[in-house]
Amino acid sequence: MHNEATQKGVFQAEVLSNQQIRRCYYRLNMKFDARGSRLFQNVLPGQFLEMDLSAISLPDETQIPENLKDKASRQVMLRRPFSFSDVIITPTADGPCVKVEILYCVLGPATVRMMSLKKGDTINILGPLGNGFSIPDHLTHALLIAGGMGSPPILHLASHLKHHNPNVEVVSFIGARNIEDLPFTVRIGNFKGLVLEEFELIRVPSHIATDDGSAGFDGFVTDCMRHWLEDNKIDPKASAVFACGPEPMLAGTAKLAKDYDMPCQVSMERMMACGIGLCQSCAVETKKDDNHTEYQLCCKNGPVFDAEKVNFHAE
Amino acid sequence: MDKTTNLQIDFAGLTLSGPVMTASGTCGYADELSEFMDMSNLGALITKSISIEPRPGNPTPRIVETNGGMLNAIGLANMGLERFLEEKIPVLEQLDTKILVNLAGKSIDEYVAVADRLAREEAIDGFELNISCPNVKKGGITFGTDPVLIGEITAAVKAVCQNKPLMVKLTPTVTDISVTAQAAVDAGADALSLINTFTAMVIDVEKRKPVLANRTGGLSGPAVKPIAVYLVNKVYNEVAKDAGIPILGMGGIQTVTDALEFIIAGATTVAVGTSTFVYPDTAEKITLGLAEYCKNKGISDLRELIGSLR
Repeated sequence: MHNEATQKGVFQAEVLSNQQIRRCYYRLNMKFDARGSRLFQNVLPGQFLEMDLSAISLPDETQIPENLKDKASRQVMLRRPFSFSDVIITPTADGPCVKVEILYCVLGPATVRMMSLKKGDTINILGPLGNGFSIPDHLTHALLIAGGMGSPPILHLASHLKHHNPNVEVVSFIGARNIEDLPFTVRIGNFKGLVLEEFELIRVPSHIATDDGSAGFDGFVTDCMRHWLEDNKIDPKASAVFACGPEPMLAGTAKLAKDYDMPCQVSMERMMACGIGLCQSCAVETKKDDNHTEYQLCCKNGPVFDAEKVNFHAE
Repeated sequence: MDKTTNLQIDFAGLTLSGPVMTASGTCGYADELSEFMDMSNLGALITKSISIEPRPGNPTPRIVETNGGMLNAIGLANMGLERFLEEKIPVLEQLDTKILVNLAGKSIDEYVAVADRLAREEAIDGFELNISCPNVKKGGITFGTDPVLIGEITAAVKAVCQNKPLMVKLTPTVTDISVTAQAAVDAGADALSLINTFTAMVIDVEKRKPVLANRTGGLSGPAVKPIAVYLVNKVYNEVAKDAGIPILGMGGIQTVTDALEFIIAGATTVAVGTSTFVYPDTAEKITLGLAEYCKNKGISDLRELIGSLR
């Protein structure tokens, strides 16, 4: 958020694996070339990349989800933005080697094409883009909250905090419409209830909320976090909320954080063409002062914004 | 760059290092592309539209992808003249390429005011008059479809450009583009740029609403290229050739061959727009590719190809 954008560039990545997690959710692992690895060695959670998927062919027709069979054949020209659920940086004698994990949901002509990616394929990438989450000094509690496909960068942030800020207590709240829409592995926790394995592995407590009650808390993830805040007394001055998800959920989170007087950073999403501030399509309405608003660019000024600055448009 | 071929080109009195520019609205205000390419390989950069007052632009969604293209309805979002002078002129001064400012306004007076102020800046080499933006309620395309208004605005802005060239950007959304081209030339335009985007719409079938918040947007990208090539050739034959006025051709240029099509059709220079969004260095790649093409074909000067359509 406050960290100035690092250098970015165009480079190639090699696909290491592309696995289906459940229904329309997939996990793509890639290894970046030397240039990409150099560019990504200081990447932060909340930053993103753009992939050129124009030359990726459609999967076999039998694999295309029924609801996408019609629109899957539409051409893909513009790059597609993705955040990361994990970044592994390994130093080698020739410089850093960066491996990145992306979680994606198949919901249009570009992501349908991604289903056909396999080990050894190459993808052209532009990145790293935007400004990531910034970790305030003197932080003791980090509350991470995500809705649906907003959860990948939240998982990345969780492991980043565990690694770089071991004294910070990290708690996560992950919401989705139903259990099928959680892009993670759900299992029975050690004590009671369901947990997400990906968060358990990095020792971050995960509170699940589903709109239909099919897993975890029955209701919105923001209400799940509100209950937790009622039960757990934390110092708001040493706490911060980090959120990513649909805009109504971000608006709810911003309000909740304000009720508890905690700072809150939200990662916004917009349709974008370029990702580098050229096209001006990804405008986010922000508060300039008490009486004025201004548009900022999601790709360049964001995607992470101070929640207090954003004028949310919840549809 | 390979120096055996002369890519250097005179365009409305400016000596450009090469024939490829980046189109307005696709390359930011100044140095946004400099980390992706050597700016000296760019013939010129055409800035985002500058209006006298800052403009917030349209609500989102502002873009939507279509087959072979995209619609945009940004709404001339820009920082306004004062901030441009303060923040961007110092950056532009450092760039090793020619700078053309795209002028926008709601009235002739507004266009004139911006041109008058910027003509005094050494960093600015010339202007592109945007009378063809389809995404604003006032100004833009309302000027660009009326030959009388085109004449008035072109003459008024030309009067304050000092010795800097004024290029008029034409909309394809007219019955006969040669009529609007002729009006601009008669009023003193030093060059013509074409085409701007086509007014278009994409509908969300489930909601039965347009996808763009502005309802309509401008179609650009490879889908429009054959129409753009045709219109460049038409304007070249019917207006520009006899008047001795150069054309900046654009519309869906993605490859070296695309650029060559425009040049053969009659364009002296070409601009890359939508493709820059996908590969930010497209303009540079096309410049280097044109040099390579000429070398392989034994063409010593790219100018031989301009309007060479048989």
